[in-house]
Amino acid sequence: MVMFSQLRRCDITDEQGRHAKLLDLSVALLDSDYPPVTNLFFLNDKNKKHWLPWDQVQKIDLKARRISVQDLKASKRLVAGSLGKDVLLGDGILDALVLDLLNRRATRANDLWLEGDESRLELRSADTGFSGFLRRLSGGRYGRISKSTLYDWKYVEFLRGDPQAVRNGEGYHLRVARLPPGEIARLSDMLPYLHAAELITLLPDAKAVDALEVFSPERQLQVFEELEEKQALALLTLMAPDIAADLVGRLPTKIMRHYLARLPEVQSERLIDLLRYPEDTVGGIMTNDVVSVRANLTVAKAREKLKEPLKTPDFVFIVYVVDNERSRKLRGLISLRNLITADDDQPLEEIMDPYVTTLSPLSSAKEGAYRVIDSHMAALPVVDEEGQLMGLVTVDAAIVQVAPPSWRTQAPRIFS
Amino acid sequence: MRKKGTAGGLEAVDALEAKALPLSPRSIPSGLRLSIRGRTVHLRGLRRPPAGILRWLAILGPGLIATSAGNDAGGIATYTQAGAKFGYELIWVMLILTVSFAVVQEMCARLGAATGRGLLDLIRERYGIGWALLAVVVILIANGGVTISEFVGIGAAMELLGVSKYIAVPVGAVLIWYLVIYGSYARVEKILLLMTLVFFAYPIAAIMAKPNWMEVARGAFIPTFRADPAYIVLVVGLLGTTITPYIQVFQQSSLVERGVARRHYGPERIDAYAGAIFSNLMSISMIIATAATLYVAGHRDIETASDAACTGARDGQFGEGAVRDWTLRRNPPGGSGLAAGNSLCR
Repeated sequence: MVMFSQLRRCDITDEQGRHAKLLDLSVALLDSDYPPVTNLFFLNDKNKKHWLPWDQVQKIDLKARRISVQDLKASKRLVAGSLGKDVLLGDGILDALVLDLLNRRATRANDLWLEGDESRLELRSADTGFSGFLRRLSGGRYGRISKSTLYDWKYVEFLRGDPQAVRNGEGYHLRVARLPPGEIARLSDMLPYLHAAELITLLPDAKAVDALEVFSPERQLQVFEELEEKQALALLTLMAPDIAADLVGRLPTKIMRHYLARLPEVQSERLIDLLRYPEDTVGGIMTNDVVSVRANLTVAKAREKLKEPLKTPDFVFIVYVVDNERSRKLRGLISLRNLITADDDQPLEEIMDPYVTTLSPLSSAKEGAYRVIDSHMAALPVVDEEGQLMGLVTVDAAIVQVAPPSWRTQAPRIFS
Repeated sequence: MRKKGTAGGLEAVDALEAKALPLSPRSIPSGLRLSIRGRTVHLRGLRRPPAGILRWLAILGPGLIATSAGNDAGGIATYTQAGAKFGYELIWVMLILTVSFAVVQEMCARLGAATGRGLLDLIRERYGIGWALLAVVVILIANGGVTISEFVGIGAAMELLGVSKYIAVPVGAVLIWYLVIYGSYARVEKILLLMTLVFFAYPIAAIMAKPNWMEVARGAFIPTFRADPAYIVLVVGLLGTTITPYIQVFQQSSLVERGVARRHYGPERIDAYAGAIFSNLMSISMIIATAATLYVAGHRDIETASDAACTGARDGQFGEGAVRDWTLRRNPPGGSGLAAGNSLCR
């Protein structure tokens, strides 16, 4: 068991008595939760960087500050590509930004804790405490090893600050994907934007989109612009239309048009419809991914019909009843609870509530937001002059509208 | 909040008159007309940054504040000394320094936008913990000195206005502490930007001093060299007070804080250049103002800015208003103190 800062002060000697100064070690991050050390790097007698596989190591003597290997001449010169997918401990991980998933924070690795022996040495934890810092600066003389600042590598995500890294097949634990989207967004706020973009590329699309929706608008744009077009399109397709429209509306015109033309038609039409409304109107804050059902159905038939439409929208707690799918004239609403608990053969018109407070898409966003909040409903529907259902304003969107600016990104967004 | 009520919720929704629904028809902007998938649409919900002059004004910020913070009490003392001791002779140094300053500032701004990281973060990642620590210690020492000189400046300036330094310094310290701890970056940036307006008093003072503009032009474009140690010390002093590390750290951090990404960096460089040019124009104005008054009148041994103000006022070279301006101007209020706080926090 050894700290990397201590190991780095060792000399490498071989059976023929040759010496070299150890520069760095590499690990195979993809291999396991605790990546094994794969190679040693050193300067040879001609001052060139060389590397030797770890299996050449015969003995580690920390007291004598010596790593004994079979033959230093068996080393190879370090050229581009020698590392493969391996990562250098000193040049790569030490001092780099890492995510401490247990404490949900971004930090830097001040030192690294290695465990094992000559046959297999593994990276076990990152030391993020001040003692690690002190240990390195004092050449190991000061800086007591404290377990409280050692973080299990299994719960540490090492980020490279390169959004392309995932595509290049670099290794990650991906445990960060198990966190809820809000926590991922909060973690990303602690990171520079390129690291945040890298974090988003790590996640499965469904989780990435949930996290991206929670980001502040500025961070959303920074991250989105760093994504590959394929992933950007996939995320825009899955994103709640109101948030996607706000994001797309911030892009330069040429890029916005590019995405709107390439998105699946349904989502593209939704975004275009939302972008028609100025941002300070109800239309500008509504979402138009609404679950609606025809009025002349029975409860059983409606349940059957709604199986598919209920799968994707964020807001599914109220089902809006319309006269037919084409004109979408609003007739009433049914809560999901009522729809599930009602008798199969009851007509929808019997159980729906026809007394609906509605909003107009061109009235002021603030006024609409207060009406939603005052109503204590999860959402209010938006209808045009003909009574056609256009969308709905959820209580989340309403709170964001009336909250002080510093609260806006912190307000939970559950329904949209 | 609510205007005329609607029957919404009081009558069955399908029984309502169609006309009753909209509250008040708004006049809406025409928006951007685009053809997407063969469909012509007017997009009015685009979240665009302001256009025209407002756009350029929105860009100004970090660069202007960072570089203006360089014209602090110590800086003013150096510039006034340069003007009082050597007249217009050292203006050429300031012209060369403006170019170097602009390049360094722009480089830091670019690093901030390209990486999203502060200067000290990058030093640590690229060169290791030892160099990062050295940079932090050097900046801490330099900023400590600068902060002390700022408070000395605040104290001396307020004494010229009849306020005891024992009151002015603690009040100034509490104000800066409050801004650094409780002020949001956006608010602090606005306050500091507003304060850079005070700097316009410098060129006014320079013009009012009625300098010999031919001499000014000669000093600016024909370099002169002297073997005089005082001359060399002042050239080095000008370099040191113009290009100061905390300005670079602040410039980069504030760009990161503003969320400028690499794809939108282009216009931001204007801020870095504008800041360097604006700040050095103010410095040159100080040199011209003191050269046209103190140097011409033979008062060539000026140690501090308040010496300059008092000597000028005593001999009637500056009007009463000029002295008041001078005392106020010499305190860009805590700009570098904030920069120091900012670099500590980063």
